[in-house]
Formats: sequence, structure tokens, C-alpha cells
Amino acid sequence: MAERQYEELKEFEKQLEARGLKYVGRPRPNREAILKVTGKAVYVDDLRLPNMLHAKLLLSPHAHARIVSIDTSEAEKIRGVRAIVHYFNSPHNVFNSAMRFYGDNSPFDMPETEYIFDEYVRFVGDRVAAVAADDPFIAEEAVKRIKVEYELLPAVFDVDQALAEGAPLANPHGVDGTNVCGGWLAYGSHSEEEVLKAIDEADYVFEDTFELSKVHHGYLEPVCHVAYYSPDGKLTIWTSGQNVFCFRSVIAQALGLPHSKVRVIKMIVGGAFGGKLEVLHEPVVGLLSMRTGRPVKLRLTRKEVFLSTRSRHSGKVTVRTGVDKDGRIRGQYIRSLMNTGAYAGSGPNTVGAQSGKTFLLYDAPYMFYRGAAVYTNIPPAGAMRGYGTPQIMLPRETHIDRICREMGWDPVEFRLKNVLRPFQNNCLGQNVHNARIADCIRAGMEAFRWYERRRAAEATHGQRVRRGVGMGLAVHGAGWYPVYQDLTTVTIRLHDDGTAVLLTGTHDLGTGARTILAQIAAEILTIDPDLIEVIEADTDVTPLDLGAQASRTTYIGGNATILAARQLREQLLDEASRMLKVSIDRLELDDGFVVVRDNPSQCVSIADIVASAQRGSTGMPQRELIATATFESRTAIESYAADFCEVEVDTETYQVRVLDFLAVHNSGRVINPLLFEGQVHGGIHMGLGYALSEEMIIDPQTGEVKNPNFKKYRMFKAADMPPSIRVITVEEPEEAGPFGGKSIGECASDGVAGAVVNAVSHALGVELRRVPLTPEYLRSVVEASRRS
Amino acid sequence: MDERVEVTLNINGEEYQLEIGKRWTLLYVLRDVLNLTGTKYGCGTGDCGACKVLIDGEPVNSCTYLATRAQGKEVITIEGLSKDGRLTPVQQAFVETGAIQCGFCTPGMVITATALLRRNPNPTREEIIAALDNNLCRCTGYVKIIEAIELAARRMRGEA
Repeated sequence: MAERQYEELKEFEKQLEARGLKYVGRPRPNREAILKVTGKAVYVDDLRLPNMLHAKLLLSPHAHARIVSIDTSEAEKIRGVRAIVHYFNSPHNVFNSAMRFYGDNSPFDMPETEYIFDEYVRFVGDRVAAVAADDPFIAEEAVKRIKVEYELLPAVFDVDQALAEGAPLANPHGVDGTNVCGGWLAYGSHSEEEVLKAIDEADYVFEDTFELSKVHHGYLEPVCHVAYYSPDGKLTIWTSGQNVFCFRSVIAQALGLPHSKVRVIKMIVGGAFGGKLEVLHEPVVGLLSMRTGRPVKLRLTRKEVFLSTRSRHSGKVTVRTGVDKDGRIRGQYIRSLMNTGAYAGSGPNTVGAQSGKTFLLYDAPYMFYRGAAVYTNIPPAGAMRGYGTPQIMLPRETHIDRICREMGWDPVEFRLKNVLRPFQNNCLGQNVHNARIADCIRAGMEAFRWYERRRAAEATHGQRVRRGVGMGLAVHGAGWYPVYQDLTTVTIRLHDDGTAVLLTGTHDLGTGARTILAQIAAEILTIDPDLIEVIEADTDVTPLDLGAQASRTTYIGGNATILAARQLREQLLDEASRMLKVSIDRLELDDGFVVVRDNPSQCVSIADIVASAQRGSTGMPQRELIATATFESRTAIESYAADFCEVEVDTETYQVRVLDFLAVHNSGRVINPLLFEGQVHGGIHMGLGYALSEEMIIDPQTGEVKNPNFKKYRMFKAADMPPSIRVITVEEPEEAGPFGGKSIGECASDGVAGAVVNAVSHALGVELRRVPLTPEYLRSVVEASRRS
Repeated sequence: MDERVEVTLNINGEEYQLEIGKRWTLLYVLRDVLNLTGTKYGCGTGDCGACKVLIDGEPVNSCTYLATRAQGKEVITIEGLSKDGRLTPVQQAFVETGAIQCGFCTPGMVITATALLRRNPNPTREEIIAALDNNLCRCTGYVKIIEAIELAARRMRGEA
């Protein structure tokens, strides 16, 4: 967006604010709430198409094997089996399931490593074949009768095995004959040697290595796709996804179709959190529909979701920090190995995203990041709320607390001394804009009664049940700038009854994106938000968007909405000026009318203005009042969080109970406080599970996920949640954001686990180096520390 | 493939005579025979509660409940709660408090909350939390769901 356009936009926002905001900044329930609470919301699995077939996948029982042969003869004999697809009868077009735009396939960022069906299977749960049949029972039976001959191959499951000398290749696309996916990413304020030297020259040097677990999004709605290849050669996919335009590219590439012959429609999504950002099995369902000419549905079981979708990268992160006597961080070096599983997907890109966050929190003159995604034979990792960021925040925040313990610093004071200040340049020379992390820390310290509660907790440290108080920080961006293009387009059309429809490629994942965009449009057009229909994410109907990812929706979508609504407002004032024979500068929009500012009784309704324009009544050509605007991000803006918590640990059972949690967020102006709080609550829930209970346990012998169900994959229940949860905001507006808003989706969760681990460390007086903090792990650490 | 049986099921006050597979779950019959898709498949193992329905007033996971067992019982699904397009107090409170995000757990949550408040019109916070023991939510941290149930209880007692 040109500089002038940007300045005009900000000037316009200021005028609206001066008038007083009516919808922005006000709580408002999710606009789909009534549909959802009555069971009428239609998710993908609720679609019922005539003659629809049901699909079932055959998943690999082996972590690494070559498929020698597939015999489907017994399966084909079952009545009602309509198609069986597998490596030997499907197209072999390579793709990357996380590809975001055409040509986005660099071997460094987005290596293409996947096929609809490959000759090799590379993890337990990899696709071998798929059946479409008249009902799900027939499909399931047919899958059981497919005979596959495998040639077993050696496999690796963790990053150490994968990087060992002479390790088997989990995937043949690694760089230089290794399991490194994409390549090493290494950069910093100075050269690697200079940063390491600066750290070593500091008064104190600390180094810790942290092991990160593989966790799943645990969205309640299992992955589901419906495809229909119609006789005119058009493939339509209905999916529960986060990025329909990306899906269109990937599906088209996998099936060899032009983009114009693929339409992807996002349905209401039952939770995603990054887990539905990559194409999953959509190409398979598309292929089955092409083979049968009938609609085909695939709905995964929960077990299949755990085995064959995406999850957060596990791995190992080492943080080395040099601190001077005065408590200033002189230098920091981070080495990160992310286990990306069997296929590239967004592995290298997750590393890239996490590297960026490394530099945006602490003010150290010397910093360096070195990291890589690593192939192994476990289910592929992908995007998950934070996109690599929790894997930096958690190790570093626990490392910072260790520094505090050893140097005798209070964790709050040490952080206050070292965090970046508003409008400061970091060590890479990037401006952090209105970064209010120090304000978040201060607000939290006060609201949490930090010193008093730390002391009170320490008074319990001789008892069986000990309390601990800890904190952790986080930073997250909003959008991709300056790494990739980041744009979205919004169209708003006015109807001749004075209502409107807003078309956007933005995806609402239950987060309330549609609600928020309607609030923003309503603020400008003065139409009740409930009278603005919001149509989202359909590749043939809505304008282009790059998906619900990178916490970009409110920032990018919100600004595009302002631009489009403002254009429409100008069209309204222009037509009204002709109707009223009053100059534009005397007119204002007010509650569905254009009124003459100095004579408010002289007015005309939006409905009448639209009708007048369509009839050409004022002598202008007949026209629809419609506006389309594209917003292009030209500013990297960051949200910040300081999380505080108190825990109780029973030193006989090593059960941890979180007693109180306080999240302090700087997300600029909050557009909808009700939805904002909901995002934070959910982020806390996810972070608590990451810290304490959730882990996809990989069998070290077979590579199989040992707990693919909600009984054994333990997400927090209501009874596990802290009895007290509070959310505070530091609402200093961010100029580039819509009405001063920044992001919240990912920042809500990024810092939670660090605060919890630090509180447990405080309670037990030990260093903790992995998550989740199971009772067995805590017991082993405490017993080891007693022995030493 | 599966032996068929004839059953009569009472669902949302209506009688249905159906020929169904002997091993079909109530969830499958609701969703795929009767097209009552408000009840959700979340896990298939009775661990998440997205498929809860009321059977003779008790919240039950329909994904692990054989449809044949529901004969002679009164089944109420999420579609059967509100009458004449009016939300029940529980539904209304869920909407207002922001207890609904992705909405996939919502039907099961509403069923559980409805059963609780019928049994216990004045539950403590602990009793609400205990009632939610078999319902998972990934979006809300349960905070606003608990608030919603408290609000609905107050309103149903005429206190709010």
C-alpha cells in the first residue's frame, strides 16, 4: 500500500475515533453462536449430498518401508466398493502440503516431498491406499482386505538418531545426504563466532538444553473432507481448513488440474489451531470422486487424526547466554533442532518463523540463531498455535529463571532490566514499534502481588505440599511481513434495503473473525453488524486471502475491511450529496443515514441512496454500490504477553495443581473484549496441557504413536483448570493495526508453559529440562538432585 | 454386512420405526439415518462428550451406546431442546457469555448442563465442574462455559 494511502487510512481512523466508536472495542458474541448452540451449524461431516460415497484410508503399520505390491482383489469383491486408489494406480505429482502460493516451492523453504500415494511409507500412519464405498462399514471392511507386501527399511525417530553419523535417511530429500530438511538457518546480529565470543567474554555464562514434546492440536472436530467431481470437469472440495487458496494450489498440483477447475470451500470449522492449515487428505478424496463421478466423504476417526494429520514439532533447543555482573544480557545463542517427521510440510518455515521471534523480546547486543528441521519416521509435524514460537519461549524462559536463581536476581526484575522497550531497535536493527512488554510485566507483577506471593510460596518449601510462583514472557507477530507477500482483499456490497454483504477470503475458525470484520465494517458504514452478512473463504466466490495463520486475520483482514468500507462510504456520501443537493463536506454517515451535519433533520437513508444509485436517479450512470480493496502489510507488528502462575506440588505423588493464572497481554486496542478473553482462556488451556499433561508418546522401537485417543492423550478437563484465571490488557494502540489492534491468537498460548515450568521449579528448587512435567519426571529430577 | 433388526425409537418426542444394523451406535442412527447432525462425532470412544444426548434425562455418550438399547427410552438430542425456535436458558446463557467458539463441543456441553440443572437447580461451582468431567473443550478453557451454566442456573431460579 502506498505511503499516502496508509496515511489517509490512519487519518480516517482518527476521525472515526473522535466521533466515538460504537461497535469497535465492544463485546459481542460470536455471530455463529445461535446456530452452534442449537445444533444447526453445518460442519463438513454434516453435509449430505445425493449418492455420496464414504471413504476409508489404509494407513501404514510400518515406520519405513517400500511397497512391493498391493493386491485389492479381495476388497473389490465386496458389494458396494466403488473405487480403490493407491500408489500403482494414482497420479505421481510431487507437492508440498503446506505450499501457500503458486511457485512457493523453494527447496529451502518448501521442499516438495509428498505424493498422494508414494512408493514408500515413512511413518506409522502414512497413506497406503483408500477405498470409496456405499457406506462407511463397507469401506472399512474393504480396507481390511487389501493385501500389501512391504520391504521393511531402517528408521529413525528422534533428532539425535536422525543426525547421527550414517543414520538411515527418513526422507530422501534431505540436504547433502543427511536428514536435515531444507537446510540450516543461521543468522544474527553479528557472525556466529563473534556472538559466541561475546557470550564467553561476559561475566557469567549459562547454557541449558531443553527437550520439547510432540503435542497435538486436539481440535474437537476430526478432520473431514467432501469432494465432488462434476461432469463438467470441476472438482469441488468442502473442507474444514484454514487456507482455501493454498489448498486449491496443492490439490490442483497433486491431481494435475488447472486452478479454475478446482473450487475449495471452507465450512464452519470445529477448531483448528494450525492443524488444518496444511492440505491433509483432500487430494485423496478428490481422486476418489474423479474415479467414481460421485461425491465422496472422508471423516477420520480420532485415532486416525492422531496417526495421520499434523502436530507440533518436538525437538531440542539449547540456549547459551552471557550475562554481565549488572544483570544485563550481553549475548545469547540459540540452537534449535525441530523434529519435522516424515515430510517437509512447513518444517523449514517453522524454523524460520521461530528464528524471527528469538530477536524480538530481549535487548541483547549480540544474538545468534541456528536451527534446522530434521526428517524422522514419525507423523509429520506442522503448524500449531505459535508456529515454532513456544519451542523458543519455553526453553528460554526457564533458562532465564535459572540465570536468576544462580545470580540472585528476582525473575521480574531481571526481565524488566532486559526486555526491549517501545520503538526500540533490536540487535538486528528492527524496530519493535509499540512493544509494551515492560508494561505487561509491571501490570502483572502488581495484579499478581508477585513479591508477597513468592515469599508466601517459599514459606511452604519445607512441607509436603509446596507452592511455587513463576512467570514467563512471549512475543508473537501479526502476519508475514517482511518475509513474504502478505495481502488480503475484501469486497463489500450494499443492498437496496440498506443492508450489506462482506466477501472475504479470511477464515473464521471459531475465533470470531467474521464477527470482528462485521464490527469494523459496521463502525464505518453505521449499519448494525447483524445486518452485514459475512461470506468467507470460497475460492470461486470470495477474494484472495492467504489463510488463517501467523495471527494475521484481525490485522490484515481488519485493515482491508476499513479500506473497502471507507470507499463505500465515499460512494454513499457522493450519491447522497446529489440527492440532497448539499456538498459532500457537510455530510456524515449516522446510524444508517447520511445526514447534513449542520441540519440533521435533512437526511437520506442508506437504502434510498443505494436504490437511487441503481436507478441512476441523480443523472449518474446506473450502478451498484460496491467496493473492493486490497490491504498489503508493510509493517511487522508484535503482540506481547507476560504470564504469571501459582502452582502446588505434592512431593509424595508429584502431582501438580495450577492454583491461579494471570495473563497480561499487549495486543494494542482490543476490537472485541469477549472474543479476546476467549482466545486467551483457550491459549492458557493449551499451554497448561503442553507444560503438564500432553504428549504424543512415540514407541522407541516401532515409531508408532502409543496413545492415539483422548483417554491417554491427556488434555486438561474442567477440573484440571486453575480455579482462578484472569486476563489483563495493556491497550496501547499500535498505529498500523486496524483501530490500533494487534494479534492475540498465538500470543495467547506462547508464554503459558514457561510460566508453569518456572513455578514448578520454584516449588521444588530444581531445574526442569523437558515437558510435560509428569509425576515420574518430577520425581526423577528431585531424586537425582538429592543424590547430588 | 451387519445383521438388521427392526426397532422403534423415541427421539425428541417422535416415534421412528427403523431397520438398522444390530451393532450400529445411537450416534450413527441419529446422524446418518435420521440426519440429526447436531450431535457430533468427536472421538468414538466416549472420552470427549461431543456426542452426548439425554436418555431418560441422563447425559449419555451416543458414540458408545448401541441404538438397539435405546428402545423404550426417551432420547432427546440438541435439536430437541429448544421449542418454537426459542433458546432454552442454558442455550441463551452459552451465547451471551461467549462460551461458544468453534462450537463443536457445544451440543454436548449444553446437553450435560441441561441434565445437571434439571437434577440440581442450584449447583455449586465444584458441582458444575464435576458434571463436565466427561466433556472436553479445546477453545475456551471452560471458563466461560462454567460462567454460562452459573448464569443459566441463576436465571432458571428466577434470580437473574
